[in-house]
Amino acid sequence: MSQIPILEITSLPSTLAGLMAVLQASRKRPGTVESLAPVIYVRPAVTLDTGALAAYAQVCAGTPEQGVPLLYPQMLTFPLAMAYFASSYCPWPAMGTVHLANRVQQHAPLHASDVLRVEMQTGQLLAHDKGQVFKLEFRVLKDDQLVWEATQTLLRLGVKNPVGPAYASALNNDHPLSLQSGFVAGSGIGRRYGRISGDLNPIHLSALSARIFGFRRAIAHGMWTQARALSAMLPRHAIAQAQVHVEFKTPLFLPARPTLWTTRAIEGDLSHNALFEVRNAKGDKPHLRASLSYNLA
Amino acid sequence: MTQTLPAIRRVAILGGNRIPFARSNTVYANASNHDMMTATLQGLVDRFNLHGERLGEVVGGAVMKHARDFNLIRESVLSTTLAPETPAFDIQQACGTGLEAAMLVANKIALGHIECGIAGGVDTTSDAPMGLNEALRKILLRLSRAKTTGQRLAALSQFRPQMLVKPALPRNGEPRTGYAMGEHCELMAQEWDIAREDQDALALQSHQNLARAFKDGFFTDLMTPYKGVTQDNNLRADLSLEKLRSLRPCFDKKVRPEQGTLTPGNSTPLTDGASAVLLASEAWAAAHQLPVLAYLTFSEVAAVDFFDKKEGLLMAPAYAVPRMLARAQLSLQDFDFYEIHEAFAAQVLCTLKSWEDASFCRDKLGLAQSLGAIDKSKLNVNGSSLAAGHPFAATGGRIVATLAKMLAQKGSGRGLISICAAGGQGVVAILER
Repeated sequence: MSQIPILEITSLPSTLAGLMAVLQASRKRPGTVESLAPVIYVRPAVTLDTGALAAYAQVCAGTPEQGVPLLYPQMLTFPLAMAYFASSYCPWPAMGTVHLANRVQQHAPLHASDVLRVEMQTGQLLAHDKGQVFKLEFRVLKDDQLVWEATQTLLRLGVKNPVGPAYASALNNDHPLSLQSGFVAGSGIGRRYGRISGDLNPIHLSALSARIFGFRRAIAHGMWTQARALSAMLPRHAIAQAQVHVEFKTPLFLPARPTLWTTRAIEGDLSHNALFEVRNAKGDKPHLRASLSYNLA
Repeated sequence: MTQTLPAIRRVAILGGNRIPFARSNTVYANASNHDMMTATLQGLVDRFNLHGERLGEVVGGAVMKHARDFNLIRESVLSTTLAPETPAFDIQQACGTGLEAAMLVANKIALGHIECGIAGGVDTTSDAPMGLNEALRKILLRLSRAKTTGQRLAALSQFRPQMLVKPALPRNGEPRTGYAMGEHCELMAQEWDIAREDQDALALQSHQNLARAFKDGFFTDLMTPYKGVTQDNNLRADLSLEKLRSLRPCFDKKVRPEQGTLTPGNSTPLTDGASAVLLASEAWAAAHQLPVLAYLTFSEVAAVDFFDKKEGLLMAPAYAVPRMLARAQLSLQDFDFYEIHEAFAAQVLCTLKSWEDASFCRDKLGLAQSLGAIDKSKLNVNGSSLAAGHPFAATGGRIVATLAKMLAQKGSGRGLISICAAGGQGVVAILER
């Protein structure tokens, strides 16, 4: 552990500075690497801000009774990932990196005003047909106790001869799902989620900016779509432990009226278990697929 | 001077009749309650050759009824070939109406007050009564009370044109809570943790069972075709779980946003239809050479406090059945058939789950141990309301006639009927042969 460089981020860059760093880093050229240079980025003391939580809940349709949303801590990790992408530790730029999968585990419920240590560490490489898959590991600690952790699985498109074991989908789809509800993904949701998350990737912001990057319309942030679905999946009160594993399947073009398909008739790790998919309005194309387990508080 | 009361007599069920049930605003859209009840009664009269007979009584009702139909059943009787001297009266106990009517007729037969009677019910949600706009109604009443021109003008000055296009529509809801039946049942499904998958499976079973019953000709002597319809038009013989899974929950918005489990597939649709059952003393049946299908032996009605004590609105049958079982000295497992009205699949599943739940049986029912599970293969074996549809007051007659015939086919046995009703009520009965 001692050899791994630990970089502390104590002040967040302005939006403009952040964008500049991303643009600078986008000059990096994709290429094959043997492994990711080990590095840890840390925000040593982040306070869970009531206002930011409320803004997140509003954008993701969370309810106050649900407490700190399961995915919310990932918002705290975003500056670390951005700092990493802008740095020379990361061989590739942030732009053009595809979020393939995300795994979150909550070990204990969080509360507004909690002071947390947020860490990011580079992880494993996996080979994918379309390029190099790499993982970023996140940890959130409260009073030195691990309370929350996540793994982002990202795909750098266009890397020839990717290294590592082959990437494989971990979520099978043997279980039939039922239509539980539908929701609205408005044309402005990418801008709204972008504003609260800091992820201002142009492909999410507007049809015009998305078209410049080769998408016919703006696409929803995958983490928003997942958070929106989780607000309907989770009970309307706090949960104790939880884990959710999502795989992003197809882009959700905005605006849209996606549908939520679910089953709870499955076995799992915790007391309540479910599978869900966010599909298109017709219900025949999945945007994301996920498994969810939780214990009630 | 005291007289010896006559011994209580067995009440025989001789047969039943119904018109095929039809989804609201389809084939019976222009049929009135009176039309459908008359056709159903006449079919029964024809089948049992009761032309010109003076029966002891005809009892029935409709849940959705216009005030002008105050004597709906008597008027229907007068439209049939029964003797016009046959008395009749209307009752209303929401979805329990049909079974309650059978219990009333049965009790009079049991006590020797009458020898035979017909119990029935009818409902239309297509030809539903509409009230005048409430404000307009008040103006008209004030107008009729007015004695001077000034008072008349004062009343008329309150009139606004929009009162003409905003009538008072009937609601399929619970007045005290403002929730629809389905919303109440969604709350029950949440409380009892009833899975969507189980509700859909029960709905599919109901359709498959009813389709098989029609294919086997089970309803041939229980039904009179009406307006060219020979089969319940809600029945989907080709229904699949895939189709049921693809239906969107429809009662979630107010009570369980985005987390609903009740869909149009596992809930009954609004339905038009009518049914009737012929009941008699054994002596009357023998004199008319009519075979007895089964006997109506026990009944019970319960009500729950769904408002202050927050019991599930449709949970009353869960209370009524154990009370009746205690009087009959039977256990829940002592039955060959269970006819649990499928207002919603979740209602049936909540009821069954509550009887298996030790703490519910102890704390709510006051029982030493839970009633236990039933053999599901004996449940609604010829389909029930999810497939047939549910014209509120006609459901009781459909179930009584269906179960009586099943017991007759089997030769002997015992069947349980359970029907939930609006207002937090439950009407239940036992048929035996």
